[in-house]
Amino acid sequence: MKTTGWRSLILYIIGAGFLAGIIFFICSYFIQGGSWAIRPSNAHITNNGQLTYSGEITDRDNNLLSYSEDGVQQYNDNALIRRATLHVVGDPNGYISTGAQYAFRTQLSGFNPITGVVSPLGNSITGSNIQLTISSDVSAAALQALNGKKGAVAVYNYKTGEVLCMVSSPTFDPLNIPSDIETNSAYEGVYLNNALSSTYTPGSIFKVITAAAAIETIPDLDSRTFYCSGSTIINGETITCDGVHGNVNFQNGLAQSCNIVFAELAVELGKDTMTKYAEQLGCNTNFYLDGNPNKMSSYNVEEADENSLAWSAIGQYTDTVNPYHMMILMGAIANGGTPVNPYIIQSVTNSIGLQTKTGKTTYGDNMLQQSTAEELQQLMRYTVSNYYGDSMFPGLQVAAKTGTAEIGENKIPTGWIVGYSEREDLPLAFAVVVEEGNYGRNSAGVVANAVLQKAAALYT
Amino acid sequence: MFSSQVFESALSITMFVLRILVPLLSTIVLVRCFVSLKRGRRKEEPVVLLEDLASGLSIPVLYWENSIGRSKSCDIVLPDSTCSRDHAVLYRRASGWIITDTNSKAGTYVNDKKIKEATQIIPGDVITMGTSRFALRRVSEGTVIQQKKKIKQPKISNKKAPSPAGLLGLTNVIHLLLTIQCCFAGGQFNALPFIPFALLLAMSWGLYLISRKLLGRVSFEIETFGFLLSGVGIMLLCAEDFSLIYVQMGSMLLGLCLFGFLIWFMGDLKRVMKARLWIAIAAIVLFAVNLVIGTETNGSKNWINLGFISIQPSEFIKIAFIFVGASTLDKLQTAKNLWGFLGFTAVCLGALMLMKDFGTACIFFITFIIIAFMRSGSIRTILLVLSGSALGVFLILRFKPYIAERFKAWRHVWEYADTTGYQQTKVLMYAASGGLFGVGLGNGYLKDIFAGDSDLVFGMLCEEMGLVMGVVVVVAIAMLILFARNDATRSRSTFYSISACAAAGLLLFQTCLNVFGATDVLPLTGVTLPFISLGGSSMMAVWGLLAFIKASDERTYAVRRKSK
Repeated sequence: MKTTGWRSLILYIIGAGFLAGIIFFICSYFIQGGSWAIRPSNAHITNNGQLTYSGEITDRDNNLLSYSEDGVQQYNDNALIRRATLHVVGDPNGYISTGAQYAFRTQLSGFNPITGVVSPLGNSITGSNIQLTISSDVSAAALQALNGKKGAVAVYNYKTGEVLCMVSSPTFDPLNIPSDIETNSAYEGVYLNNALSSTYTPGSIFKVITAAAAIETIPDLDSRTFYCSGSTIINGETITCDGVHGNVNFQNGLAQSCNIVFAELAVELGKDTMTKYAEQLGCNTNFYLDGNPNKMSSYNVEEADENSLAWSAIGQYTDTVNPYHMMILMGAIANGGTPVNPYIIQSVTNSIGLQTKTGKTTYGDNMLQQSTAEELQQLMRYTVSNYYGDSMFPGLQVAAKTGTAEIGENKIPTGWIVGYSEREDLPLAFAVVVEEGNYGRNSAGVVANAVLQKAAALYT
Repeated sequence: MFSSQVFESALSITMFVLRILVPLLSTIVLVRCFVSLKRGRRKEEPVVLLEDLASGLSIPVLYWENSIGRSKSCDIVLPDSTCSRDHAVLYRRASGWIITDTNSKAGTYVNDKKIKEATQIIPGDVITMGTSRFALRRVSEGTVIQQKKKIKQPKISNKKAPSPAGLLGLTNVIHLLLTIQCCFAGGQFNALPFIPFALLLAMSWGLYLISRKLLGRVSFEIETFGFLLSGVGIMLLCAEDFSLIYVQMGSMLLGLCLFGFLIWFMGDLKRVMKARLWIAIAAIVLFAVNLVIGTETNGSKNWINLGFISIQPSEFIKIAFIFVGASTLDKLQTAKNLWGFLGFTAVCLGALMLMKDFGTACIFFITFIIIAFMRSGSIRTILLVLSGSALGVFLILRFKPYIAERFKAWRHVWEYADTTGYQQTKVLMYAASGGLFGVGLGNGYLKDIFAGDSDLVFGMLCEEMGLVMGVVVVVAIAMLILFARNDATRSRSTFYSISACAAAGLLLFQTCLNVFGATDVLPLTGVTLPFISLGGSSMMAVWGLLAFIKASDERTYAVRRKSK
């Protein structure tokens, strides 16, 4: 009989398997339960694929942006605000996957691992309310300034991380969805938040990245003089410049956006150094906004010859950059090299009024040495004050770089501006891109000014 | 309007509190049942002694069945080179002590007469094995019954020992709490659920009175355990659709009868050992009948439709399987090979494969492994069987790739949410919706999904009663292995020990397949969750399997023996 005693230990093998399985399941439940439960087909919480009841999404000034009642998505009363905040809030069909309604549906539906999707109080299941950091007024100003052009505006506070404005165009009114939305080319890409989920050819704004590489790599950079005759031959092919700058130093090379200066610098720096700095400054890397990844900026010169390398340094060749990334890069420069991570959820408040989450200031990976950042600050400020003129941004003390990206023959170039305000009371970094904007200074620059003026008027 | 809202909130909060109370009280009942079983266990004290006539030393006889021989694994080890490794078995039956020779070389002698078959001996008789000579002695002048009284001596533990009636009462309270929830399912008050409650009450106290008063049995832990879980399942089904409980409760009553019958039947081990061949033949015939006239449901041909009712023969063959596999120690020591049982297993697995019931085939296979190991103790044999079957599975998947197709969704259910992963995604979605304490009985949606109350019932349990209750129920079933192991050396025969361990292992493994299959931890195979799932055959078989665990508790047959 004693042998049956120890042989019965075999049961513990099954017991151990059972315990491992049940612990695995319980852990999975606590980690993934929300994503299991919050499904369009869950009859407890949805009606025709929409959350039956969801919490309110408000902006930083407590303006109601959206909520859901009886399975119908409700929005702000103002059509302009609805269109300006569409990509941040989300559309009624959940196609904009980075929109708060979809991306934060677990919080909005009120799921928590203790009570699941039901409220012990028995009243209708109401989820948490989410307050966003964006300003609907600034967003509206941005959309108006875009004036119907496709593009994106991204602005954030580089000291705290709050995203003040994130507007994408084309857009539409979620309460009056256009009937030709699927067929009209004007709505192409309407379900993408261009600020977060699109990339564009950067053009001259990429010179900021090349400049950073040069400052950290070439010791006698400031004492050098370059010569621009309007074009140069590298590796048998021409690099053209928009102007004839003659003898030009590095500072004016950036301010006047001289292609020749940066083409020569790129050849001197070489592929490896260029790639190293492009990646250190955030290319080929994902950035996140409360869990939503951006579309990566791409810099790849593996197969480039010297001429192509030169073009890549002035933001052409195969370079593509993401506005959200550019905004963070500007924040890093403004902050002395280390960016503050942007966030868009100011707070999440559950149905009984407790704040379950608040946005916090966190720092990203260091991008630049402090001295380099300071030199770039000075260069970009010089670019505005001595070249564009402060009249472009009255009273805002902006440091910036514009770009006019060629995207192909017979196509109107993409206009860019990236930069930040040096004003202590207005610590905003921004990136603005306007498709078919042509000169960045006249297109994106105007939008940036309109947005910053609105922000300055409202929040200082 | 306002007052009705207040009423609704109050009702909802009350229901929520009840849903927290149910798993809490259930845990108390389960723990107390186990404590009671542990307390009721006899201490490892000698029943009789073998006095070595050469040295005068006494060897204690600790178990109901004792192997004697030179081998270290014997219960009574004889350091005597003239003895065989497994020489004889000394065991106790209702009639008294019996010794039987297990094909030893030198033979076994009682009072200097060589024995040919099992021979009854009484204290004072002299047993000779090789050159060793022993006299059977009582431990003291006191009887075995006095021995039993000795155990109960520590007063403190006696005071704490949970009362069987109290535990059953608490189980009724749990059922009452579930009944109240059931009455308010769907927002309207409905008194119908009190009918199954009353029936549960009647069945539990009926069995209690028969068992304790009529048959004079001491223990009631296993029965309480079975009632607790069956009641949870019945209330879950009652909230889904009242008409489901007719079959479920009817089967439970039949299951109780089967439980009682099996305990009576196993009371006489001689009868059991004789009947094993017939049970094996009956099982094979039943399988054959199933294959010929069976009806196919959801790809598995494991049902026999009798017109008014459908039965699933494989559920009952589980019981037969354990009967055929388990054996008393004297038979184990004489017939060491597993060929007969292996052949029977092969026939069963083959039949199940033909029915395409892979889940049940796995259950039979694991049960085979448990029984084979408990019989032989040979890890090598087990490894051989396991590697052989791994090869078999590999060949099946190689030549019948469509079987592997069935498991393609495993760990990727969300990608196959519209096809083979449909059921699992619904389980995860609705189980998570329930949170820790559920959405309330009858308020779930998983019941509307196909097989929601059988193969996917764990999800339904979690959705309506909460994850905590779901875990309590399956952990309770897992505790059966502790129940079975508790009596592994204390039972009246290795037959009871092996069959109890096999039954507990079978139920736990089936639970694993059901729970982990539905929640995508393992591939979905479609077996029932013992006690909870809708299914008459399953309910009956589960109570039949409980009888094995009950029979391994030596107290089950204690009083009857006294009355003889």
